[in-house]
Amino acid sequence: MHVPPWLWYSAITLIAWGVVGLLQKLSTNYISAESSLIWLVVGFLLLQPFLNTGIAVIHYSAWNLTWASLSGVLNALGAWALFAALKSGGKASIVAPLTALYPLIVIVLVPFVLHESITRLQGVGVVCALVAVVLLST
Amino acid sequence: MKSIDKCRALWFWYSMACVVCWGGWALLSKLGSREIPPNAMQFLFTIGTIPVAIALLIARRFRLEKSPKGISYGVLNGVLSGVGGLALFAAYHTNSNTSLITAATALYPMVTVLLAVVILRERFRPIQALGLIFAAIAIVIFSL
Repeated sequence: MHVPPWLWYSAITLIAWGVVGLLQKLSTNYISAESSLIWLVVGFLLLQPFLNTGIAVIHYSAWNLTWASLSGVLNALGAWALFAALKSGGKASIVAPLTALYPLIVIVLVPFVLHESITRLQGVGVVCALVAVVLLST
Repeated sequence: MKSIDKCRALWFWYSMACVVCWGGWALLSKLGSREIPPNAMQFLFTIGTIPVAIALLIARRFRLEKSPKGISYGVLNGVLSGVGGLALFAAYHTNSNTSLITAATALYPMVTVLLAVVILRERFRPIQALGLIFAAIAIVIFSL
């Protein structure tokens, strides 16, 4: 079985974010969800010196620089909206699986924006992944 | 009764806002990653998160809880999220299928569930076991 490089990278993401999920449970035992998000950004900032981007970062196209930084804005706004949903009476057992469905947006938009397609078998894999995410977050 | 319905609608719309924001985040991450390497993507991503953190700080009137444990977990979350983000940007940068990468990386709750059972001694529920089976099928299909 040949494991494609993207799946190896994804495995690192899975493990790192999986541990984050656990630590998030622990951090919100001591501080509020909003404070947790603020300290999360402090953690991001601690990584900045090690990313070694230098001045070269400004030479990328303006559009891609915009997409990259806007992705950060949207990620943090999404987390904020999640906290707001929980605060305004949403049950975690409903809100968590509901918000875990964000890949659907990507899957629906990708054929139009990036002109990519998937095979039928890969489609089955995507459906299994979405079902798994909902069941695991319930 | 009406106000309860309104509240219900509010949490639902906040959840939808979250889905749209995170969907947008994943899509824009891919768009940027076509040209920009993972380290620069993470650098720029972090710059994007700063205004939201500042807005939250202002909303909280700069009052944060002083729990050393909570703060340590929070900062560690940021470092690990960043490492996970770097790997995600690297996956997008390989020019492989965006839908597959996004669906595969969204499976991270399976690691959380396993760790919560092993470390926090949380109860392993049948619905989660079913979730793990679906996750395993998805990963096997993605690796074909």
